[in-house]
Amino acid sequence: MIDTANLRQLISLDGNGTTFRGTYHRVPDDRDSSQAEVNVKSSLGIFFLNSLTLPRAATGDSAIYWADSFANCGYPSFRFDLPGLGDTEGELSLDFLDFINSGGFSSIIALKVTELTRRYNLSGVVLVGHCAGAVSAIYAAASSEHCAGLVLMDPYFHLKQAVRPWIREQISTWARRSSLGRFSSKIYDLSGDLWLSAKGNSVPRNANFPLLKSWKQVADAGLPILLLKAPGLKASGVKPRQGEFDYLSYIASLAARKGRVTVTAIEGTDHSFANRVGRLAIRQHTENWLQTHFPQAVSGEPTLNSSHRTEDTTTISEANSMTSIPMHQTGGGN
Amino acid sequence: MVEQAGYFRVPGAHLYTVLHRVEAPVARVLLVGPFASERHNSYIPWVRWARYLAARQIEVLRYDHRGIGESTGIFEQATFSDWSEDLRLLAEWLKDQSPDVPVLFHGLEFGAILAGRLFHQGKGDGLLLWSAPANANQVLRSTLMRWARLEQLLLKGGDERKSAADYIRQLEQGGVVEVEGYEWSSRLWLASFGLELPTGLADMAAATSGPSKPVRIVELGKAAAPLVKGGTPGFDELRDFDWLYSENMNWLSAELASLKGMASDRHS
Repeated sequence: MIDTANLRQLISLDGNGTTFRGTYHRVPDDRDSSQAEVNVKSSLGIFFLNSLTLPRAATGDSAIYWADSFANCGYPSFRFDLPGLGDTEGELSLDFLDFINSGGFSSIIALKVTELTRRYNLSGVVLVGHCAGAVSAIYAAASSEHCAGLVLMDPYFHLKQAVRPWIREQISTWARRSSLGRFSSKIYDLSGDLWLSAKGNSVPRNANFPLLKSWKQVADAGLPILLLKAPGLKASGVKPRQGEFDYLSYIASLAARKGRVTVTAIEGTDHSFANRVGRLAIRQHTENWLQTHFPQAVSGEPTLNSSHRTEDTTTISEANSMTSIPMHQTGGGN
Repeated sequence: MVEQAGYFRVPGAHLYTVLHRVEAPVARVLLVGPFASERHNSYIPWVRWARYLAARQIEVLRYDHRGIGESTGIFEQATFSDWSEDLRLLAEWLKDQSPDVPVLFHGLEFGAILAGRLFHQGKGDGLLLWSAPANANQVLRSTLMRWARLEQLLLKGGDERKSAADYIRQLEQGGVVEVEGYEWSSRLWLASFGLELPTGLADMAAATSGPSKPVRIVELGKAAAPLVKGGTPGFDELRDFDWLYSENMNWLSAELASLKGMASDRHS
């Protein structure tokens, strides 16, 4: 039995006047050392960010599962709470979502990435973010020289409201529950399609343009990016719901030819990716992507060939039902 | 203030603990948090409450139940006995820090049942309960219902859609249901009926008719979300909970003054 606590170390990053509290998932070969910092030899680290207001464990403790798995494959992994979230002190403002959407966390994340790479002698880090965390990861990657790659789970590129207006919520409920509502919903989707075509598929007005600019910057620079997408409501694969703007195709068109962006749709899960199918799929795709772009000494085995956690019950055949589409092959058009 | 994170070793697991250390504390409070996914939803106001208390000279120990959050152990294998025993060990450790300083238990939701049961066994010098259910099944049932509603919104439809009643049937027939990333077993579901809040703690009237130790039982409404269910994730966490904290701190201060008075009387 693996002594999990021996492989995890509670750490804090105290530089620049802000203390980040987090957990360091050590590579198993280093577990006998009491001085973990000196034993990690210039390897790539994995840096997990919070998803919106969730603590660093994420839904269903999925981030812990992923960090354990990546560390077992030879990548020291770090999960931190951003200021005001989880165990890290700090104030959260009432416009918290606006703060994230405008890249409010980017400078402190970039500073902490530098601090972490120095302290643990890392060659760089891959930032991992889910939803709002993915937004922060893109901004931070654009302002950090130590960010070597990005793993983005269900990022969004528009400015959305934290709370839907009451009337819109009521209409949505009606559209789901009644047959007339469902019919109206289809008409609504079709009209959205027509409206998009009439506008020549131009970027919606509520697009997050500063974020798109940061995206272009990191994708143009050739930063390896893995984008993992959960099934959307009335959507399949990487395509959006009928009538909605296709941001994924658009961001693919923004990346220059040397862009190394891979988009993978994961079926059988939801936006949190926290169920067994979702978490296993994230783990497998990320480990294979890491091995492709950042090969290094491996302590464990890539998980498409093995399953090292006793609590895994999802079979490989379930996980293989996912589709993987390298974005540079799909291009910008549809 | 120093917030000291660590792992507390118990048989079969390491519990993640954070001690909000205080110089010369007037009391110590052991925070016993909610169940599984509720831990994540309520985390921000729960941690802020710990800091609020620490800023008022009360040392706080908070922790994650085994198999949940930062604690080790496998959730699917953990039992209510494990979770109860873990709390007992932590309570003993906290009391041992300086036996003259009173230790109070504060439980939220599922944690209220665990804290109430330990208190009922004679441990602890006081008890504060927020939204204490009558038994653990009420916790599981309300979580399952919320999750089933959410899943119905997110899934595409057809055979995939199930109601809460379908999932309950599945659990009653020996199946496993995955709820917000945690695998609930039939064993967990059935055992949850047996983990009850002591009847003497059902409400304030019952509680005040018992032993003379301080007890406060508070039913939290939706205004207290996400400490309780019913709010909007990503929005309620940002609320100001000072109204809740100050009200409970006032009670704590009064009871601690009373405990101190009784201790002085005993010495003189």
